[in-house]
Amino acid sequence: MINLIMDFINNTGFALMDYRNLVMMVIGLVFIYLGIVKHYEPLLLVPIGFGILVGNIPVFQGLGLGIYEDNSVLHYLYFGVTQGVYPPLIFLGIGAMTDFSTMLARPLLMWLGAAAQMGIFITFLGALALGFAPNEAASIGIIGGADGPTAIFLTAQLAKDLIGPIAVAAYSYMALVPVIQPPIMKLLTTREERLIKMEEPRVVSKREKIIFPIIGFLLCCLLAPAALPLLGMLFFGNLLKECTVTDRLALAARTSIIDTVTILLGLTVGASTQANRFLTWESIKIFILGALSFAIATASGLIFAKIMNLFLKQKINPLLGAAGVSAVPDSARVVQMVGQKEDPTNFLLMHAMAPNVSGVIGSAIGAGILWTFMTR
Amino acid sequence: MTGLDAISAANGWAIAVVGVTIVFTGLVLLSLAISQLHKILQMWEDRRRLMEQVSNKWKPRLQTEQKIESAPNAHDIKETAKQAKILVQFIGEPFPLPKLLELSGSCGIFKPYSTINALVLNKYLIPDGRGYYRWNSDKKI
Repeated sequence: MINLIMDFINNTGFALMDYRNLVMMVIGLVFIYLGIVKHYEPLLLVPIGFGILVGNIPVFQGLGLGIYEDNSVLHYLYFGVTQGVYPPLIFLGIGAMTDFSTMLARPLLMWLGAAAQMGIFITFLGALALGFAPNEAASIGIIGGADGPTAIFLTAQLAKDLIGPIAVAAYSYMALVPVIQPPIMKLLTTREERLIKMEEPRVVSKREKIIFPIIGFLLCCLLAPAALPLLGMLFFGNLLKECTVTDRLALAARTSIIDTVTILLGLTVGASTQANRFLTWESIKIFILGALSFAIATASGLIFAKIMNLFLKQKINPLLGAAGVSAVPDSARVVQMVGQKEDPTNFLLMHAMAPNVSGVIGSAIGAGILWTFMTR
Repeated sequence: MTGLDAISAANGWAIAVVGVTIVFTGLVLLSLAISQLHKILQMWEDRRRLMEQVSNKWKPRLQTEQKIESAPNAHDIKETAKQAKILVQFIGEPFPLPKLLELSGSCGIFKPYSTINALVLNKYLIPDGRGYYRWNSDKKI
């Protein structure tokens, strides 16, 4: 009987735990805290934070409990991440809830979304310089796209072992957009520039909104076919939303489907951060590169907006460049917040959504390009 | 391998440059396409009005062409002959055809080449065998 009790005690999480599990649990609790108390991306940080707790309960190997053990329930749920199933479904939902009106009204602002993707490619170079293999460097670079599903999708295709740290880095920095971006925005713009008011966008017709996802899909996917799973679903979701005859499908895409997938994705990505796999020097390097990529992406958008102003008669507020990173709609909100600090009557949110949603398209194209280059 | 050597070995510079270029190309093309979209849709909505505008623009020209192609009918030829006879009387007989053509043009006779050709074909104007023409007084007008 004593042996049985001792066996039980030896197999409890308390007995199997080491300090690394505790560190990860603290990280998980910080995520939950940031989500609940600070409202930083709560829909992502709470599932990921709880997933980190789930993944770091030390379990007896062989029972089929851990996410990396074949036939475990978590392993099956994680299948959607490793095979790139969840990200396109999230894009479907994003498409069904995104209004592209401001982008259609001022297409020029899309260029800011393109400029911000510089972060992807500069981080890719940085990762190569730090000794990562090209496929890993491409997966790390995509963190600069500030798009969690895209980062997971590309990493699932190119470097499955890095899904945990890359996903956590991408979502952490997305959540920390209100902390990371404002200092860079203030550093790279003058007060006069931040005070620039944007003119009212024109009214966009319903017909334009219906035709746009078809044109957008054909143009982008013919140019970068590897972006098909993401952009195909994004534009399909948007068509469902705009065409007015598929309201039920659009509603399902933007509510039940995206919510279910977000729960499964967040929880399993969190659970994949088991301490023995996550707490490595590689992860630390990925986090450093991720922070740099966000900063570079933000700076690229801002600088490009300033360059555009050299040629434009009707100047644009360069803060909009910071919204080129595809953290929708957080970076647009940050632009609004920083702009209103200078002038409370300046409303930039609506205008910032244009580079913001074009950033989503740009990062998906970027992911498609990297995937193509790495699999050649 | 680390540093710039690692980037070069993985063809990183080229990938980065081409990658950025493709992203820019994609979004610039898309922005150009959607910047024209509302204009194209506007044209499509106004297609009837535009078609009318185009057809009105071409209408007078088509009428002109029809006039050019068609020879004067029996009634018109007599009317034209009356006008031509006055000119012939002014020039004097026999007369060179280019002189009549020149005078017809300056007097505002419609399409003088075709008109005078019709007068020759209908034997209102007859050659005198020496390179000049005369008015055919046997023809009644």
